[in-house]
Formats: sequence, C-alpha cells, structure tokens
Amino acid sequence: MHSRLLMKLRRQWAAVPAFFALAALAASVSAYSGASSRAGNSPVQPVRFPHPIHVQTLKMNCLYCHFAANKSPDPGMPAMSTCMGCHTVAGAAKPEIQKLAGYWTRQQPVPWIRIHKLPEYVKFPHMRHVGAGVSCQTCHGNVQNMAQVSQSQTLGMGWCVSCHTGQSNPPFRARYDCSTCHH
Amino acid sequence: MTVKRREFLKVLGVGTATATIGCGTGEVERLIPYLVSPDETVPGVSNYYATTCRECSAACGVLAETRDGRVLKVEGNPQHPLSRGAICARGQAAVQGLYNPDRFRGPMVRRNGTLERVAWEQALQLLAQKLGETRAGGRAASAVFINQHESGSFPGFLDAWLNALGMPSHISFDAQSDFAAIAANRQAYGVSWPRYDFSAARMVISFGADFLDSWGPSVSQQLAWADARADVANAPRLIYVGPRRSLTGLNADEWIPCMPGKEIFIVRMLAGGIPVAAAAAASGVPAEQLASLQRDFTALRPNLALAGGSGPGAMQLALAVNALNAGSVGSTVNVAEAVTAYDGMDSPAVIRAAVERMRAGTVPLLFVRGANPVHAFGKAARVAEAIAKVPFKVSFSSVPDETTELCDLILPDNHSLESWGDAAPVRGTIGLQQPAMEPVFDTRATADVLLELSRRTPSTAARTPEPGYRNWLISRFPGGARALTEALPSGVTAGTIEAGAGSTTAVTAVASPAIESTRGDMYLMLYQHPLLGDGRGANKPWLQEMPDPVTKICWQTVAEIHPRAAERLGVENGDLLTVQTAAGSLTLPALVYLGVRDDTVAIAIGRGREHAGRYARAGINALDLLPAGATDSSGALAYVSTKAQVSKAGGYHELVTTEGSARQHGRGIARAVAAGSLGQAHAPAAADAHGAEAGHGEDGHVVPEMEGMASREFLPGLRAPVANDAQGDLGDPNSNAKGMYHPDHWSGMAKRRWAMTIDLARCTGCSACVTACYAENNIPTVGADWQNAKVFPDRTGFGANIVRSREMAWIRLERYFEGGENGESDFETRFIPMLCQHCGNAPCEPVCPVYATYHAPDGLNVQVYNRCVGTRYCSNNCPYKVRYFNWFGYGEPARPHYAFPEPLNWQLNPDVTVRGKGVMEKCTFCVQRIREAEHRASAEKRPLQADEFTVACAQACPSRAITFGDAADSSWAVTKLIDDERAYHVFEELNTYTAVVYLKKVNHPREAAATAAAGATTGAGAAPQAAH
Repeated sequence: MHSRLLMKLRRQWAAVPAFFALAALAASVSAYSGASSRAGNSPVQPVRFPHPIHVQTLKMNCLYCHFAANKSPDPGMPAMSTCMGCHTVAGAAKPEIQKLAGYWTRQQPVPWIRIHKLPEYVKFPHMRHVGAGVSCQTCHGNVQNMAQVSQSQTLGMGWCVSCHTGQSNPPFRARYDCSTCHH
Repeated sequence: MTVKRREFLKVLGVGTATATIGCGTGEVERLIPYLVSPDETVPGVSNYYATTCRECSAACGVLAETRDGRVLKVEGNPQHPLSRGAICARGQAAVQGLYNPDRFRGPMVRRNGTLERVAWEQALQLLAQKLGETRAGGRAASAVFINQHESGSFPGFLDAWLNALGMPSHISFDAQSDFAAIAANRQAYGVSWPRYDFSAARMVISFGADFLDSWGPSVSQQLAWADARADVANAPRLIYVGPRRSLTGLNADEWIPCMPGKEIFIVRMLAGGIPVAAAAAASGVPAEQLASLQRDFTALRPNLALAGGSGPGAMQLALAVNALNAGSVGSTVNVAEAVTAYDGMDSPAVIRAAVERMRAGTVPLLFVRGANPVHAFGKAARVAEAIAKVPFKVSFSSVPDETTELCDLILPDNHSLESWGDAAPVRGTIGLQQPAMEPVFDTRATADVLLELSRRTPSTAARTPEPGYRNWLISRFPGGARALTEALPSGVTAGTIEAGAGSTTAVTAVASPAIESTRGDMYLMLYQHPLLGDGRGANKPWLQEMPDPVTKICWQTVAEIHPRAAERLGVENGDLLTVQTAAGSLTLPALVYLGVRDDTVAIAIGRGREHAGRYARAGINALDLLPAGATDSSGALAYVSTKAQVSKAGGYHELVTTEGSARQHGRGIARAVAAGSLGQAHAPAAADAHGAEAGHGEDGHVVPEMEGMASREFLPGLRAPVANDAQGDLGDPNSNAKGMYHPDHWSGMAKRRWAMTIDLARCTGCSACVTACYAENNIPTVGADWQNAKVFPDRTGFGANIVRSREMAWIRLERYFEGGENGESDFETRFIPMLCQHCGNAPCEPVCPVYATYHAPDGLNVQVYNRCVGTRYCSNNCPYKVRYFNWFGYGEPARPHYAFPEPLNWQLNPDVTVRGKGVMEKCTFCVQRIREAEHRASAEKRPLQADEFTVACAQACPSRAITFGDAADSSWAVTKLIDDERAYHVFEELNTYTAVVYLKKVNHPREAAATAAAGATTGAGAAPQAAH
C-alpha cells in the first residue's frame, strides 16, 4: 500500500520533466518553423524569363523593371505593360514571348512563382539596403547569370545579422536591434 | 555550471531542431503583377486621398490611406476646417463598413420572398420598367424617395432627377441627428447648427447635450472644448443638467440630476420666469443647487447653454435654451461660421407622414438610400407594415438592414470611400469626396445608376449629357476639371453649395402622451449609443468591441440603474431586470451606475438588430420599448417618453465589461489637481476634494507626494539613455555586445528616447484613440459569439471572451469615479488612457525566458512576436496590465476564432505582423511608424525632424491630449509637456521609470469659479485668486 502510493507519486512527478521537455520542444518548433531555409529553390516559371539576356546582353539595370527597390520597402514585380513595352515588337516570334503575349491579350497577369520569401514577422525595407549600397546580388545571388532564378542565400536570421554586425565582406554596419526588423 | 535562461531552452531544443529546419511548407506562393501599373503608385508605399467621412452627417474631412489599391486606414484631414486632423471612432470604423463581410455583393431581386443575385443590366431593366409603369399610370407624383441626409450637391442632383421624372423631391432623413436642436437653431439663429466658441465662455450649461460625443459635429466641438479647457486660468466651467450623465456629463464639473423631461423648468428659472423653489419642485433638484447655479449663471458671463434633451418637449427646451443665448450670439455662439452640414435635413415628421401614405396604400414606388426607417422608429411605429403595402420598393443600401428585408430590388450603392461626391461642412467651405479605391464588390454609385435610368427614359435621355456623376460634378464645379484636380489633394475648397430648403415649415407639434400619464415606477430613458448611434455602427466589430466610454460595456445591452434603485429592487450588477412599457417588455442585466437618477432606468439603443449582419445581432434592441407616438415636438423620436415597470426578473448574466473596478483604491492612477492650486509648485498639496489618497503609507516606506503637486523624481531620467535608468551598464560603444545602449554607438539609437505625454485635462474619454490603435495595429476583436471557446459551455453568446478578460485593446480608456460612495450625485470622473508605459525599468523584461520582450536602445519596450512562446510571465509581472495574450488563433484564417473574415482582412496593416495563437502582444509605440519615419529621413539623407510623425492614437485624438516624441531631444513638443508642473508617472513608487508621462486632470470646483467670478466682478483682476 505504502509503496504503491510512492510509486504513484513518483509516476506523477516523472511527468514534470516530461512536461518541460514538451514545452521546450513546442518552443523550439515555434521559434524555428517560420525561418526561411529554401536556399537552392529554383522553380520553373510560367514564362521562362532569362535574366542573363536582359542584364548582360542588353545591359539593362535591375531598377528598370524592379523600379521600386530603391524607394519602397517592397520592390514590386514589373507590370505586364513593362514587358510589353519592348516585347510587342522585340522577339515577338519566339515561343516564350508568344506565351507572354498570350497572357497580355487575355489580359491575365503572369502568375510568377515566388522564390524569395521572408516570414511575415520580418520587415525587410529594400530601399534602406539599396540606399546603403548593398548590391542586389548580396541577397539574391548572381541573378544576372541565372537562366532560371534560384534562391542563393538562406535568408535566415543568422545570415542577416552577420551583415548587420559588420562581419560581411565588404563590411556593412546596420542596426541589429530586434525591433529594426521585427514589429 | 550556470545555465543562462536562453541556453536552458537551446539545450533542450537541439534534438528537435534538425527535424524542423529545412521543412518548407511546400506551398507555392504566386507573385501577381499589375497588367498596367497605376500612375503615381509605388508598391509598398501608401498614398493618401483626401475625401469626406460619411459616417454621420457632420462630414468631417478625412485622409484615406491606401496601399496597393486598398484602403488601409482612415485618418483626419489636417486641412479640414472642422475636424483639423482629428477623427472619431465612428469615422475610423468606416473601413469596416467598406470591407464589411455582410455587404451586398451586387444587385439583388426578391423572388418568391428571397433575395437573389442578378446582373446589373437585369436589375436596371426591372427598375426602368417599374418606373415606366408608375409614370404611365400617372402615379409618379406619389412616389417617395427617402435619402440618408447628406450635405453637398447630391440632394440637389437627386431632386432634379426625381422632378424630371415627375416625382416629388426626396425626403432627407437622419435618425441620428438631434432634429429638435436643428429645428430650434433654424428658428433662433437662422442656421441649422452654429459653431460654439467654448473658449469665449466662462460657463457652459448643457441640458442633456452630449456635445463631446454624439451631439452635432462632435469632433470639432471636442477640439474646441479641449482648447478652451487647456487655458486653465480662463477655462469655462461645465454644468450638465439631465437625468443621466453622458460622456459630456462625466466631463462636467457639476451634475444637476434633473428629472427626465423637466429640464425646461431650470431653463425658465435661469431666464427669470419662475422662482428657484418652483424650479426645484418641478425638476426634482435641491433648491440650493439651483440657487447657486443661478448665481453662477449671472456672474460668469459670457456663458453658453446647449440643449440636447430628447423628451416630448425637446423642441420647446431647445428654443428656450437658445433664448438664454440671445446675448451671446457673436461671442459664444458663432453664426457667421455656421456648420452647414445639417442644412436641408427634413423633420422626421415628414417621413412619418410618408409612412402613413404608404399605410393608406397610396404610394406606388418607394426608394430608400442609406436610411433605415423600419428600424429608426421602433417596432411600435409599425413602419414595416406600412412599407410592405408599397407595390415596389427599391433600396440603394449597400448593407442588409431591416428596410432592405422588405425591399423588392436592391441596387447596392458604393461605399463613401468608393464614391465621388462633395459636402458642405461649414459655411464657405466645400468638402470634396473622391474614391480611394475601386469598389470592393459589384456595386454602383447611386448617382450613376440614376443617370443611367435617365438615359433609358426617352423624355429625359436628351437632358443627360454626363456619362457619370463625376462628370456631372465637374460640369458644375467652378473652374471645371482642372480646378477640381487642383483642389482634391487638400480635400477642401472655398465655395458654397445651395442646400435644398429642408423642412423648416414642416415642424409641427405632434401630440404625444405626457410621460407622467404613462404607467410605470421608473422613467425610461433611451439614448443613442455613443459609438453605434441608432444602430448604424452595429455591424462593425471595432465599435461593438470598444467599451462604451461611460458604462464600459461592450457587445451587450444593459439597464443602467442608480445604486439606490438597485438596493430597492434587490439587484446587483448582472442580475436580470424586466423593463416593461406599454409597447413591450425586455429582460436585460442591470448595471449599477452612479450617474443616473434613482427614479430612472437608462438603456442604450443600437444593438440587437436581427437583419443587419453577423455582428449586429449582439445585445437587445431597446427601441422596442418605445410606445407608438413617442414623438417630440419637432417630429423626431422621443427617446424619453414613457415610464416603465422595472422589476427583478431572477437570473443573472455576467456583464460584458472591461472595467475591473470603478475606484482607484488609493492607487493614484488618474490624478487631478484643482485649478486654483496650479502655479504654486512649492505650496503644500492643495485640496483635491476626492483625490487619490497619497501613498500606501501604513508601513511608512512609500509615500510619494501625490496630491496637488507631481512628484518629479524620475522625469529627468526620461532624457537620459535607456541604459542609464536602471538597466545597468552601457557597454562598450565599439562592441556588439551591449554597445548599442551607449549614446556614442555609431547607430545612434540610444541618443533617442521615445516618450509620450497624455494630458488628462484635455482627455474627454471619448476612446477614439482605442479604435485608431485597432486600425493601425491589426488588433483582433474577440467578442463575436463564434470566437468563444467551446470548452466553457456556460460561457456563450457575444462577449464571452471579454467576460474572461480576453479583450486585446492595446490602449484602453480607464474610467474612475471619485466620491459618490453613498450614491451622491457630486462624484467626479477621471479618464485615463492606459497603454504600455514603455518602462525604462520594465518588470516584464527580466521574466521572459526567451528574450521575446526586451528594451530597445531608443526606449521602446519591444515585443518580438516570433520569439514569444507564450509563457505569459511578462503579463503576470506587468503592474499596468497592458499585455494581451492571443488565447486563440484570432489572426489565423483557418481557425474559427479568426477576427478578420474576408474581406475585413483587406484592412490589415501590412507594416504590422498579424499575431498568431499563443503570442503575447502589446502597444509598440507604433514602432512601424517610427521605423518608417527613419526610413524616409534616411532616403532623403536628413535627420529626423522634430514632430514629423506621430503615433496612431495621438493622430486621431479629437482633444489633442496625446503627444508623442523624442524626450531626449528638446526640439520635440513632448519635452515641453514633460516639464509641466502637472506631470507624473503612474505607479512611480515601483521604480518603473515609465516613458508615458501623464499630466494631471484639472478640476474646476465651484469655489474656485466663484472666487474668480468675484475677482472679475470687483475689478480686482481676472486672475484666479491664490490659494492660501
């Protein structure tokens, strides 16, 4: 009788560390699950958009299409009219351009697949980074060489902070207070 | 080995990390580009469109913030002469009307009793056909068009359209405006609403006029009132006469609890018509109180009297009160710059007459736009029956309501934020209205629909050259399209729009039974809810969830009774009462409220609407208690027109209230000082009649000086870097470890110290700041019945989460009573907005095991949502109780508790994270606005300018009580206010070093006023006499 009671008590107490372990597990899941870690992600887009031709061959500036990157938190996607400004004429016979023109005649936007995505609780103001002289390639990789864009960096917090605390090459310095990005 | 609190979880988390990292959700997210990018928009950057608020008739100017084609928030337009950048709670909730999930998706036709969606073409054809039949039958002259009153060009446009088709001019109706006051103003001053100059008055007497909250253009009146009171030495005293203290009543320095409908006797006494004793006997007010009122009224001139009673004699009262002001026209009553927004409004008697014609079966066609006559007059008026007799009923309402329930055809109008228009807010000014976004649903502006109908009618087609209402407006705008384009960014332009005649003539006395002859043991006083109005705001969750500024009740209808009445009935808070009148009986919980006469039961109308959407069902519709013929002498509904039999019903329903206690219990949270004792900082504490008792000095260790003089020990600390307060060492400015807390760190963050002052002498308790915060910070509402936890079967219905204290208001308006412990009427009320105090030495920070809350170098107490694991230790340790926990997935669309059903979620601010389940949240000092301003300054390569931005609550505040800024930089306005002698910290004795500094409320007791009056009358100088 006596020992059975002890056993029962012991069993109950054993639940306490188990509960802590569970709580910790829940905590770590909650802390990490939102982090982006899709480096290498390279989906096939509905229209094959070759950055190398536009950037290297035609020497177009990134800001020609991603015009808001230096004035808004959100770089935006170029409007279809931006594409059609050239492609009504340029390369009109090529199959991918015809695909693009098909969307345009149907007045449908191209449903691009998103590659670079930060969780909602991270605020990444593009214009601050562009304004500070951080090149597009620092975060997006050498897009000018990518026939199909892929995510080159983890976009994880450790990677962000390494730059903000001046450990990058070339070194940048930025605030690393939590409320700089999280609010 | 010592384990630091972070590592404790790190160690335990290692085993699971491998399992979780690398798991993508597998969802493919799409980026949808514009086909053609709209001009002047940059993705992710807000545009502001100046337009006009149509939530009430006042037509304040607003700025609609839009981003990526969607309206996010409505803010006050600083260039508008009436609202001057401020905005009330109702105005801000316009976005919840725009994105209301219960709006009509498109035109509807009633077939076999139910409404069915049709295409616009079909709907227009049907209407054109019915219109043709009516005209062919020669009955067009009997058609009725009821329009929700609005000022501007639309009423004239509408009449022109109606008349061209042989129909009579429309009826302009507003159930929410005090028509008795408007009719009396038209008679006395020749304008519908003068502007009141409170700063010129030395005394203001309000006879039931809630001018700070729901009576007239309250935003502009509140601004004027706060400015007048801010000049403490010359501030007017406010006396409130009425059976119940409204928000204005609670702000009054003195309350004269007059019997319902008997205010007129006090007015007659002041006018010299009857002696004090007679007035006292008739009004139920002690003779001494009336005698001193009369003395003050004679001594304190110029003065101002306002009437807003709603008894059967409301118009006589308003006329008598306006006569009291006869000598003040030009000083306290400004007729030259009159408010024109109410011009053209018809008497509700005109609607009643039209309803009787419908009942008689002589109306062939009824149009209703915006107005809701079925609901407005209560069940006993049997408006629904009458309307049902009209063969064809058309509604232009964009939301379902009691009237659309009866209509045969619904042609939903655009929301005001989707429409072109104009308004006449104040004499000489035109307010412009422009769409801030494309229509959310398949709706069309009524004006465009009418033009289209004209084109389809052979006789009028030739006279309809304009393709749309916008073109019609331009064709009549002085200077045409170009001038309009130039005027639109400011939202206002000089000019005059001729209003229709309105019904000045149609004001006829309607016989209504005297209150005294009705049966009952208590007077029944209904009043419009300060936020929901007569029910128009009932389907907006922000307005339902925001506690009534006076009663602190939300989502619920209660019967307010005095403590003595409660004792007599044997009930306490929440015990059910039966309130019975000739019209019907309701059972509802009792709220014991000091500010109502003991012979009166007061109930707010505006809730309990069956057909107005999912949120509007909350509560009970008290209009059902009004007997038929409850009409005042101007034709408006008389909310105070009957007695009621009040009895204990047995049973209990918890009050849905956010109030913990109405008393401060000596905590010194909301402090006050007498006007006369200011300016003598070194004098001993001045008497503060019911002031918070200083200190809890029983054990003799904490006795801060609380009365009269602020203890200012910690105020200078607000100027110092955060780390200097109590956080410990500054760190090495060159190191990454704690270096950011050093003012010399390269980031310069620690050079700033964000802080706020709240002037309680200005704050009226209106709670506009609360809604501003909901709008800015994506705060979920939690009171809808489907958001309740299923595990508490006894807690059901609307507001159950609030009963469990799970409301999420980051800023709340606390309301405390001082005095009146035995039910006396001379109690004082103090309002204090309570939000995160951003303590320099915050109790919440050290208890967080995961560093989810910490102190930023610029003084913010930061909550990092993605770090938070929901231990709630911080909330338990917060002495101010300003941290709120997401008990359910209010921010997660997949959960039943989701607070933003589509398309309400279109309003969500993209700059602010929507919090998930299990996360603590709280006021951030609008960190997103701070960062945005810093981004802007950086982009323009300049330092941040003093006062170049402010937080959402301060921006909305219609009494300009809140000031936000950098306490460490003396060029910001906030630093001057911190130096005010009234400044204090709440719970200073806890060494929290708060960044929110309150300025004490200023009381104007009768003695001080009398002394000042004596000084003025004897020529000894107008300055208040020094206290001894």
